Amino acid sequence: MVQLLPRLRRFATGLTGSAADGDDLVQDTVERALKNLHQWEPGTRLDSWMFRIAKNRFLDIRRSHKRSGVVAMDVPEDAPAILSDGARGAEAHMMLRGAAQALDALPPEQREALLLVAVEGFSYRDAADILEIPIGTLTSRIARARDALALWAPEG
Amino acid sequence: METDPTRETLSAFIDGELPPREMERIAALLATRPDLDAWVRQQETLRTDIGKSLAELTAAPAPERLVRIAQTAPISWRWRLGQAWQRPMLRTWIPAGATLALGVLIGIAVVPPGDIGSRGGQVVAQGALASALNGKLASEAGSGPRIGITFRDHDGHYCRSFDADGQAGFACRGSKGWEIAMLATQPKAEASGPYRMAGSEMPDVIRAAIAARIQGEPFDMKAEKSARDQGWR
Repeated sequence: MVQLLPRLRRFATGLTGSAADGDDLVQDTVERALKNLHQWEPGTRLDSWMFRIAKNRFLDIRRSHKRSGVVAMDVPEDAPAILSDGARGAEAHMMLRGAAQALDALPPEQREALLLVAVEGFSYRDAADILEIPIGTLTSRIARARDALALWAPEG
Repeated sequence: METDPTRETLSAFIDGELPPREMERIAALLATRPDLDAWVRQQETLRTDIGKSLAELTAAPAPERLVRIAQTAPISWRWRLGQAWQRPMLRTWIPAGATLALGVLIGIAVVPPGDIGSRGGQVVAQGALASALNGKLASEAGSGPRIGITFRDHDGHYCRSFDADGQAGFACRGSKGWEIAMLATQPKAEASGPYRMAGSEMPDVIRAAIAARIQGEPFDMKAEKSARDQGWR
């Protein structure tokens, strides 16, 4: 399970918008997975199962936060590797913020679909399986996510 | 003139999810349609940027708390998920051959006296422990000894790990029954939260000994059941 941590952290950070929230989500996910080990069928993909748990936990947490008005989006000011070189650093920081903001602007169901396919490299079939939706729905969510992202992108 | 491909089609093109002929058609179309081509290129740039941003945000090693929790996955999982779980230090530390030939019996007095005995000079499982090794599956809860992983050793014998009454060990099926290969006192469960799983408390000495003896991987549920149903022959 340790081997899956880097991918889970990346996915969770993309979902929540911050590394700290992402790590909390991963911890929650791993604890949940260990508690429900008996539900995982050996021979099936462990990563898909863990990503599904992460997705479900994210939606649960988001629902509970909604009531208190918490918005999980927090790009750390001290993001690594951007402090040494002033000009390049500022540019990198903006890119970081821009990409993160663009993701956060997406509805969660589009965000998770795009992250699984475009960042984690899951096939449409596997991603649809993780999200428990038909492939057609997945395809449409990814396309809508991309259309929305295009509005944020710098003019190419 | 053909109608423009939908956003879904272009998006699936980016992800390589169209049938080969359709992939070719869209690629040819993009060569003649700068507007569509620009959208596709923009998406590819965005994907790279998002990937980079996330990589930067998660560049630091996973927090210790995460690694510690992930490491509490039970032993049967660890094997299935890859050999990285095994600590090389432990492998070399155990003088595998000699130790296993003798069998390590630590804290044997704590095991219910009827569960382990001697048969023809060999320490074997008896009573409830023998019953569990014969018939119980790893997935079965309930009282009495619990079964961990089932595997074949290098000589082709069936072996099963177990824990019972604060003892953990493994036994291999031989001519005299379930011959105890190793037995050790289980460390007290650490106060590491409510999610610590039973199998994770297997002593390192047992885990390392199994690592030295196992051939291939532990059985999955199907293979375990099949071996049991055939009487471990």
